[in-house]
Amino acid sequence: MKSKKQWLTAPGLLVLLVFAVAPLFIMLYYSFLSDSGAGFTLDNYKVFFQKSFYLSLTWSTIKNSIYVTLISLIIAYPLAYIMAKKLKGIKNIILILIIIPFFTNQLVRVYSWLIFLQDGGIFDAFLNSVSIIEGSLSLLYTRKAVIIGLVHAFFPYMVITIYLALEKVDNALLEASSSLGATKLETFRRITLPLSRPGILSGILLVFVPCLGTFVEPRILGGVNGTVIGTVIEDQFFEIYGWNFGASIAFILLAMVLISMNVLNYLGREK
Amino acid sequence: MKKSGIISKAFVIFALIYLYTPIVVLMVMSFNSSRYNQMPFDFSFKWYQDLFQNNVLIQAAINSIWIAAVTGVICVILATLLVLGSQALSGRLKNSVQTFMLMPLTIPWLIIGLSILLMIRALDFEKNLFFVLAGHTVISLPYSVLVLQARMQSMDPALEEASASLGANVMTTFRRITLPVLAPAMVAGGFLSFMISFDNFVLSYFLMPSGFSTLPIEIQSSIKFGFTPEINAVSTIIIGISLLCLAIVGLIMGSSIKSLFGKKEV
Amino acid sequence: MKKKSILTMLLAIVLVFSLVGCGGNGGDTPSGEEKATLTVVNWKDYGSDDPDFIAAFEEEYNCKIVNLYMSSEEDLLTKLRTSSPGELDVCLPNCTILTTAINEGLLMEVDVSKLKNFDSLFERFQTQEDIWKDGKLYAVPFVWGSTAIAYNTDIIKEPPASMNSLFDPQYKGQIAFRDDYNDAVMAAAIVTGQDPNNPTDLNKIKAKLLEQKSLNRTYWKTGDEFSKLFAGNQIAIGMMWSGQAATMKQEGQPIAFVVPEDGAIGWVDNWGIVSGTENADLAHAFIDWMISKDFQYNWASTGGPAPVNQEAAEAIDPEYAISAAMDEESLNRLYFMEYRSDEVKRAWNELWTEVKATN
Repeated sequence: MKSKKQWLTAPGLLVLLVFAVAPLFIMLYYSFLSDSGAGFTLDNYKVFFQKSFYLSLTWSTIKNSIYVTLISLIIAYPLAYIMAKKLKGIKNIILILIIIPFFTNQLVRVYSWLIFLQDGGIFDAFLNSVSIIEGSLSLLYTRKAVIIGLVHAFFPYMVITIYLALEKVDNALLEASSSLGATKLETFRRITLPLSRPGILSGILLVFVPCLGTFVEPRILGGVNGTVIGTVIEDQFFEIYGWNFGASIAFILLAMVLISMNVLNYLGREK
Repeated sequence: MKKSGIISKAFVIFALIYLYTPIVVLMVMSFNSSRYNQMPFDFSFKWYQDLFQNNVLIQAAINSIWIAAVTGVICVILATLLVLGSQALSGRLKNSVQTFMLMPLTIPWLIIGLSILLMIRALDFEKNLFFVLAGHTVISLPYSVLVLQARMQSMDPALEEASASLGANVMTTFRRITLPVLAPAMVAGGFLSFMISFDNFVLSYFLMPSGFSTLPIEIQSSIKFGFTPEINAVSTIIIGISLLCLAIVGLIMGSSIKSLFGKKEV
Repeated sequence: MKKKSILTMLLAIVLVFSLVGCGGNGGDTPSGEEKATLTVVNWKDYGSDDPDFIAAFEEEYNCKIVNLYMSSEEDLLTKLRTSSPGELDVCLPNCTILTTAINEGLLMEVDVSKLKNFDSLFERFQTQEDIWKDGKLYAVPFVWGSTAIAYNTDIIKEPPASMNSLFDPQYKGQIAFRDDYNDAVMAAAIVTGQDPNNPTDLNKIKAKLLEQKSLNRTYWKTGDEFSKLFAGNQIAIGMMWSGQAATMKQEGQPIAFVVPEDGAIGWVDNWGIVSGTENADLAHAFIDWMISKDFQYNWASTGGPAPVNQEAAEAIDPEYAISAAMDEESLNRLYFMEYRSDEVKRAWNELWTEVKATN
């Protein structure tokens, strides 16, 4: 039975093969083309490592993604836990409520953040009216604004994956644990957390990885320092005819993700 | 217990406020007469009137919903098969399948879209809706798969084996054991794929046959000179309808909605 | 029970959406399939998608106009290169890609005899160098405009006299510079006294842009961003296009636009006919309509960019022309953008990326 079952992956893999992997080889080919049209070269990859600002941009993009992932986890885990274990009747309604905001356009949402966060904008006006602060917080065009926007865009994925994992954890198991004298913290650490691990891992992937390539939030909310590696790739395709270099940056990014994923996998197995 | 209940509820409410902040802003701005979302607020239905005369925008919104819905259904089916099938794979093979699947998540969509375009040109095909759907499926699939995986991985394989050893055939085991466990994740994964496809600009942009537009294409093309709050109006209507549906479903189905996303409370 | 409700739910969702989809598809099937379709690649909201124009043109020529939008000049080039013959009919390149498109044979020769309005274009636009190759016409100028300085008249009382205002510390925190490698380099070249089309000292330009960086409130990328920031009082002065400033003024914003004495950036958008079109006659008729006095006058006087049609330009209220920088004096101050090789574009883009990446 098992040997037949693995063929279930065939349709999905076929779609990925034809419409993701095969076309990507075309781009991989471009990434080794020289700009002058004179055959193959490694120059596109070399340039990336030779200019220090590409590397520093990549590093700051990675840092941003790490912040966003951590903050998302801090919000998403308790939320998913509460939904799965504390709220009885309305948890599904809340789950849908979390998805509905994303039936709007990303750009329109980011512009709404811009209106909300700008100096003298709605947020400042609100805080002034309840006398929490006077004047302005000056949030717009800071790293904080970028993080606020990015966490907003990504943490719901994490809530969903963690919730789906936690919701399956049998309440009887938790009760048994506490009746055997385990403290709440111990039950959490030894039962709940390990059982929700697949959800956490899926969630981290769904936040961290797309966050590396995103550029809308940083550019619109980050001001003069809102440049990220995603913007650089975008410009290579839309502003100048720089497909070769643009593709090579994308593949460097892909390599970084795959390497770090395998490291994570490896560490995970050691445990 | 009581105290922790209050803290829990407060946390949920805080998270929802954060989520809905930009949504409320964009809804409010759809009723503001200023084209540039300027304050002070001046109530007006102007943008809704403009919207109802703007057939291009309405048609684009309908196209988007249609493409996203089909993408969502295809993704759920493919993802369920992928997750079920990859369970039968050995460790290393399973890892490579996983890596494979994550590629569309890592590579910027711009590059995926452009490479699919180059590929269909190289093979001398015309742009058509099939390729649009294929492109949307490829980028949305990882979301469905990861959601399903989060659910599947913590499922006890012994359950399926027990069912099989008790004489149930494959279909019965799937229907009675696996499906009930996976169903919530299938619904959630479908919604996520819908959401990714509905908001995708760059794939549609490169692959769409001429004369066919989507909401993100209209919005992205407008930003060069500025989009009007008609866009806010259209978003408000979509959000409004979704919330209304949720409320109606909640009222009619009452307690049975519980079973939609999770196993029954015992 | 559970399973059933889920399946029913899924089925219902699919059904509802496919119904909506079918309804939508049914809507745009034209009754007469015979009509020729003219596919135009253009910016959105840039003349050819005006509903009044479309209705009038479709009626006159018994055809259908389909607008495809471009998101940048390079993107238009990609579209031209990857389209199949007959897919696109007319497009709107500017100088940055025009020469490339002509050299690669992506555009077909325009038959001047089919354009009865061509003679009413300003002399300088008729003889514009990059639209001709080997004595043959390959593109027809449509509109021109400038990228110069817009400012808030409530805050800044004295009109800025020099491009230097965008580099002036007295406006620290109120400036919105444009996030565009070409405009950034050209503006900095003007300020550092170099030829904006052939700057020799790129290091000096980089230093100038780095020095300017901290003075900005932000860099803007899209016109949308600029207008919302301006209306929200986040910025007081910035680099802007003439056409959009005029639109904003008509919307009641306290905005004024000026081409400073030391010059600014000028550009021309041109119509080209895509090689392989099956609707060449219709394409000529379309272009002729676009450069007609009536169309050009109507658009220019309601917030559009400046007309290339001399009769249209002369019909515009002189005061309005000055406020929208469509007047002769502004025109003569401009450095019109020229074609640049891929190497130059890459070098400028890299310079600008470095400026943006340096904290």
